Amino acid sequence: MPIDPQLNVDEVIITTMARQLSGEMLVSSVTAFGSLAAHLAKRRYAPDLAVLSTPESGMDVTPMPTLTLGQFLTDVQQGIPLTMEDIFDAIFTDHFRIWINPSQIDQYGNTNITCIGDWYRPKVALVGARGIPEDTSHLSETFYYILNHSPRAVVARVDFKSGAGNGESRHGLDSHGAPSVLVTDLGVFDFTGPDGTMAVRSLHPGVTVEEVQQRTGFPVYVPGGEIPLTELPSPEDVRIIRDADPLEVRKLELMSGPEAAEKFVAIYERERQALHATYPRVGKFGR
Amino acid sequence: MDKRMSIDEVVDRIPSGGLIAIGGSSISRKPMALVRALARSDKRDLRIIVDVGGPDVDLLLGTGRVGEVIYAFVGFEVLGLAPHFRRARQSQTVRFQEWTEYTVMAGLDAAIKRVPFMPTHATLGTDVLRVNPSFKEIRDPFTEQPIVAVPALKPDVALIHVNYADIQGNGVILGDGHVDVLCAKAAKDTYMSCERLLSSEELQRFGRDVQILRVYSRGVVEAPWGAHPTGCAPDYRTDVRHLQDYLRASASEEGWHQYESEFVTVDHRQYLENHGGAEELVSRLKV
Repeated sequence: MPIDPQLNVDEVIITTMARQLSGEMLVSSVTAFGSLAAHLAKRRYAPDLAVLSTPESGMDVTPMPTLTLGQFLTDVQQGIPLTMEDIFDAIFTDHFRIWINPSQIDQYGNTNITCIGDWYRPKVALVGARGIPEDTSHLSETFYYILNHSPRAVVARVDFKSGAGNGESRHGLDSHGAPSVLVTDLGVFDFTGPDGTMAVRSLHPGVTVEEVQQRTGFPVYVPGGEIPLTELPSPEDVRIIRDADPLEVRKLELMSGPEAAEKFVAIYERERQALHATYPRVGKFGR
Repeated sequence: MDKRMSIDEVVDRIPSGGLIAIGGSSISRKPMALVRALARSDKRDLRIIVDVGGPDVDLLLGTGRVGEVIYAFVGFEVLGLAPHFRRARQSQTVRFQEWTEYTVMAGLDAAIKRVPFMPTHATLGTDVLRVNPSFKEIRDPFTEQPIVAVPALKPDVALIHVNYADIQGNGVILGDGHVDVLCAKAAKDTYMSCERLLSSEELQRFGRDVQILRVYSRGVVEAPWGAHPTGCAPDYRTDVRHLQDYLRASASEEGWHQYESEFVTVDHRQYLENHGGAEELVSRLKV
């Protein structure tokens, strides 16, 4: 890990993500990182955000990263119920923000969660474009994060465009849906390079431009002048993140193999207790 | 009209080659008791529509019931990729159409509104438009700008699972609604399983949570735990342990045969018994 060992990389990334959010927007909770960024933003940086407890429902709740309890969180907190129509109407009218964690992102900010290799004969079939095409044709800000910046994830050209980036992908589209920001474990990037390509905005402490180039599948544009250091989380940011994720569900996204499997089981066994400890059973159905 | 029927009676009414829309979302509120019965039937070449698919599509692919899948997403969320879906995509043994979350909703909505297509900007600039032969890029007749025509999806059958229903076919959904209402309205015949049958009087106390209207339902099945192993908020959460066993089983032919004999080729009562019965499920999954 290139970041100062005193700092947890997850907390740096989540805080950086939180600081990008602003305004009065629905913010979806699809991943632990996304929901914690929304929660921290609302507490510290963007108080008008309307944070959801699941990808589609439970507006104005305090999200708790969980494996299985998103909808139960809506119930115990009496979150405002939304429909899928509400979600897509908010996307089309640009009242929605989401942090997307793509499998691949390229120099133009095209993103892929569909397949590795040719779509008709994939080497690995992933999950399918889901709602990314809607986001990349309508939102005035689109946010991406990648936890392990590598030439396999940050590529010259995605194998499949699930989401539309800049350049030729803007054919038929206006600027809505164009990529805004990518946060990785190395730094913060935007798309202000030539022809809307990826450019370095800031680097996390201890990270060099050389390392970024080594771990990226194309030459990243580096603007002139000194490259800023990513602003680090304050003690208050870190406290809010840790309090909101007592089971450390966020750490799962950084793990793999047996370590991840063990953590996964531990969280699954404990999360009901954690929910009930935090919220008494005052849900709509009084159970 | 009393629309109660058995799980097997529902399956008898599903034609081979039929276009089947399935409600729920990945690992939430899938009509799994109905899906399992379909998976162990002798139906062939089913054409499946899912917005966000998971164990439903994967199981039907695993037992060879499927000729085509129309999907925005198929996966097991935090648990990973869907094994039979992945295999079928990579070996091209089944036809696939990649749609997106809103376009599946729009296709169903077009069927409901009896119009041939719905226009949207979603998928412009992405490869979804390139690989999905059902979509057509057309010109807005007013401005001549490009726009995508999403054709109507007209399911023969919709399968959904809800919390409560009455014998007339009204259904209460208490957690996230997903796209169940669209599926129910768009299909020629909608069959609904429920956790519990209530009298119509009791059901009407749920007000706006009565989301499935009886004019759209053809049959109702009382099937407690009918969404298992997916979750059914606020009654029970997703059975992650079962899904992990499913993923392990599907890794080998032997494992899969074992899984099928224990959990697919048995009726719903025996399925629950093979999990140690309802009490065991309550202790592990009630929230």
